[in-house]
Amino acid sequence: MMMRRLVARAVLSAILLSGTAMSVQAAGTLKVSVDSNLNTLDPAKMKGGQEYVAAYLIFNGLTVIGHDMTVKPDLAERWERSDDLKTWTFRLRKGVKFHNGRELDAEDVVATIARIQDKATGSTARVNFEIVDSMKALDPLTVQFQLKSPYAGFAELFGERQARIVPRDAVDTLASKPVGTGPFEFVSFAPGDRIVLKRNANYFEPGLPKLDEVIVRILPESAAQVAALTTGELDLVWNLPLEAIDKVKGDPKLKIDSVPTSTWDGVIMNNTVKPFDDPRVRKAVAMALDKQAITQIALFGNGTPTHSPIPPSHPYYNKDLKIAKGDPAGAKKLLAEAGYPNGFEVTLHTPAGRATRERLGLAVRELLKPAGITVNVQRVPFDVFLKDIEGKAGFYIDGFFSRPTIDTSVYPWYHSRGSWNTALWSYSNPKMDTLLDGARQAKSEDEAKALYTQVQALAVEDSPGVIPYVINHINGLSAKVHGFHSHPMMFLDLRDVSVD
Amino acid sequence: MFAYTLTRLVYLALVLAVMSVLIFLVTQAMPGDVASMIAGQFASKEVVDAIAVKLGLDQPLIVQYGHWAAGILRGDLGRSLVLEQPIGPILMEALARSLVLAVVALFVVAVVGIGLGVLAAVRRGKLTDQLVSGVSYLGIAVPDFFWAIVLVLVFGSYMKLLPTGGYAPIADGFLPWASHLVLPVVTLVLMLLARIARLTRSSMIDVLQTNYVKFARAKGMPESVVILRHALKNALLPTITVLAIDFGLILGGVVVIETIFSYPGMGRLLLFAIQRHDLPLIQATILIVSAAYCLANLTADLLYAFVNPKIRHGMRAS
Amino acid sequence: MTDVTPVQSVPRRHLPSLPVSLLVGIVLLAPLVVAAVAGSWIAPYPYDEMNIMSRLQPPGAEFWFGTDEFGRDVFSRTLVGTGSSLVMGVAATALSLLAGVPLGLIAGYKGGRAGEAIMRAMDVLMSFPPILLGILVLAVTPPAQWKAIVAIGIVYVPQVVRLTRAITLELMQEEFITAARLRGESAAYILFHEILPNIWPPLVVEASLRVVFAILLGASLSFIGMGAQPPSSDWGLMISEARPFVEQAPWIALCPGFALATAVIGINLLGDGLRALLDPRNTGAH
Repeated sequence: MMMRRLVARAVLSAILLSGTAMSVQAAGTLKVSVDSNLNTLDPAKMKGGQEYVAAYLIFNGLTVIGHDMTVKPDLAERWERSDDLKTWTFRLRKGVKFHNGRELDAEDVVATIARIQDKATGSTARVNFEIVDSMKALDPLTVQFQLKSPYAGFAELFGERQARIVPRDAVDTLASKPVGTGPFEFVSFAPGDRIVLKRNANYFEPGLPKLDEVIVRILPESAAQVAALTTGELDLVWNLPLEAIDKVKGDPKLKIDSVPTSTWDGVIMNNTVKPFDDPRVRKAVAMALDKQAITQIALFGNGTPTHSPIPPSHPYYNKDLKIAKGDPAGAKKLLAEAGYPNGFEVTLHTPAGRATRERLGLAVRELLKPAGITVNVQRVPFDVFLKDIEGKAGFYIDGFFSRPTIDTSVYPWYHSRGSWNTALWSYSNPKMDTLLDGARQAKSEDEAKALYTQVQALAVEDSPGVIPYVINHINGLSAKVHGFHSHPMMFLDLRDVSVD
Repeated sequence: MFAYTLTRLVYLALVLAVMSVLIFLVTQAMPGDVASMIAGQFASKEVVDAIAVKLGLDQPLIVQYGHWAAGILRGDLGRSLVLEQPIGPILMEALARSLVLAVVALFVVAVVGIGLGVLAAVRRGKLTDQLVSGVSYLGIAVPDFFWAIVLVLVFGSYMKLLPTGGYAPIADGFLPWASHLVLPVVTLVLMLLARIARLTRSSMIDVLQTNYVKFARAKGMPESVVILRHALKNALLPTITVLAIDFGLILGGVVVIETIFSYPGMGRLLLFAIQRHDLPLIQATILIVSAAYCLANLTADLLYAFVNPKIRHGMRAS
Repeated sequence: MTDVTPVQSVPRRHLPSLPVSLLVGIVLLAPLVVAAVAGSWIAPYPYDEMNIMSRLQPPGAEFWFGTDEFGRDVFSRTLVGTGSSLVMGVAATALSLLAGVPLGLIAGYKGGRAGEAIMRAMDVLMSFPPILLGILVLAVTPPAQWKAIVAIGIVYVPQVVRLTRAITLELMQEEFITAARLRGESAAYILFHEILPNIWPPLVVEASLRVVFAILLGASLSFIGMGAQPPSSDWGLMISEARPFVEQAPWIALCPGFALATAVIGINLLGDGLRALLDPRNTGAH
């Protein structure tokens, strides 16, 4: 069932793509900036957003997380799974070539995953693939994985940033001379300065990419990025700093493109510490916080209010739930019921140097005042925060980057045995556990959607903590750039982009 | 003079050898060792150990130093742990870019500084002299990074005249390449201008009072010839040695300047290496910059000794 | 790299040593010293009080020098930051004197192998560009302000050692030292009772100039993130944190910048004045 639909989707996208291919000519050079130096061009070892930018230009995964946050075929044109969700078989696209001219085969996939699993590689994606019991290449275009336990989200894991498929005979030089199958081929890398990429003439999507050349400039200073965009020295600023948005908006030659991500900041309440051990107190805090106002204050409006880490742009988002508008009177009533008729005073810790989280802390202080809660904001240096506050204090601001799958974005925070839940707020509700375990084994997308809809409702009802917004990923670009769409995972997708 | 130069060179080699030991020891003491940096925040001890063995970090310090020092003598600066590339080419490319900044800045400082100094000396006590002093003080009263910000604000943001960051390879054309150098160079120049101008001014004033100049004037030579041909030649000697020292200062100053202007030179490479705990890269960068600094200082000393034999012999005595 | 030449010593930021320079220096520095001592009391707002509703306000009646991105009062922050910035320079200089003067005395008075060893060690320290030596020391551990102070102190030890040694050597030629030696006084007695009282005037002049370098180096280290840490309102750190907003709100960077300039000029004038007062030998020399 599922498989047939995926095949249909793949065929359909192939037709659509070849249709556009006729009219397309290679179009120019795109100059894009990232805000910090890249450590490595070896995808297995990547850790930062600016590195993933390179990863998505040079490499492909078996699957890809699409602009709508769902999983799509990439190097695998289709896949099947057994009914117990433990055997997964991927069928590779035929005739895909690495930039060095060699054809991709199933052994490359096995070697790539084995390398990520190898502890000496030190890949952060290693834990994702601990679930794999064994894998083998059945034939040059078919690879099969046996899992230790059923896992419905396995195909999504191949959309993870580090799981780019690499040629098994060139792994030792990936860090400085990456070879992939992606739309752009590596030309040169000057650390601290730039990466130069050129069009991959053999790219498997017909007619793509449109650009001849991509130059990724490394420019850490936000003032310099914006100045270069204004003068035309750059065509695109990836992940535009919030403070630069107004400037770009005010320039008729420039434009902004943004998309909600599932990167979020949160108000963490330790469910085992007084007064937050009382669900009514947590509910009161959640009630008093106007999420729209918070988004304005913390992100200058460049975020989207949400209920949980599931962003409003995702198909699983629960549209029936209302976003909290801020009800200090209702919050006061709840507090009185919980035994705090006159409110209480509490210290809120925020990590210094993380601007959005610091501003969120200030917003919480202002918005809880009318509900009778006096908040003392205390900023702590980030290393102290990691050591003494995160997972230990009763009330603080924290934040997390988007994860590739809904399961990995939600389960760790809401399941009673979830890693971040036990570390942050120690929330436990058997009903929530049942929902999350069920979603892991859901046999269809509809079933998964139904379960996650309930998860969000329960997350709002119980309010283990407050997740006020997901942050928007913003790109600043010149009006000369066409066909660009910001990706919710902050990947830089330049396949369809052209420059006048 | 030859023997003196040779002695100084041998001594320099010794100093560099001691420095290399110092750099190695200090960087080895860094917490948060490289293996765990590479393995990431949540890695188990097993993973960290596996990486440590792979990198040879499990060997005794003296063995590690031996490998490192022997490599440098062969011209091999080692491999960057994070970038996974030989350090030599990366470092040389960054050094070359920093040297471009330093050389251009030095040239501008020399021309403008000496010019202003002569002007101030000739117009001693007049408004021009006061103006030159005033303006050159401005340069030193405020730290270089503050000037950098003001320049970015004025020439980049408001006037949109110049790029405020980054680097363009000369292959992109002369104008893009040069325009990226202007603001960092001006910042460095502001930092050093005052001293050169003042030094030239005071030695010019001394020279102008000598009999030699008075004699030239008495012979009826035009004032411009007296100043440029006779006085300046003699007044320049101390200035030149100070310029050599300034060259070393610029090499140190680029760390901050390059950060502000996103300029991909040695300074930013060093800060990158420190943030990522890339030991071999930190060691090599500090060693190379320090060696360049020592060479500049040595040049200054030799120049000074060369123009001033009294000092040379005085030094011998101590 | 030996103690050869007058130009060899680290560049001085000379200002004309008019008799009034001491006075002007004091006039410039007095408010800064008051701010350093009593900044937190006289500041109109607490330096770290954030008010999100009035962020990035331009200078005006309510906030004299405007507010930063968290709505903190820039004037109050600059005022309170005086302490951090000046203390960094003064403490680092004090450290280099504490370490450098005894070493210089030993090198000058005893000479021999010990003296040679000290001077060669100083040569090695001086072979690092100053900010690099600071970075090398700081790179070892997570940054903190006291570590920056120690690092700057170490950077300037060699200059103090050299100066102390040079003056000591000069004094050794004096008759009263020879007399003391002939009387059979102990080395300690001669060092502390005969030499030390005579070397402090040039040392004070030297120290006053050194403070300027230490303040600027401290600000540079804070600027690149290796000195004072947030939420401190150290001037170098303030300027560094103001960078992303420099176009929208230049006052955040300009205010501490002007404060820094005032301090540098003030101390320079003070140093020149002191030189004229204490060390007349040097006055005509520059």
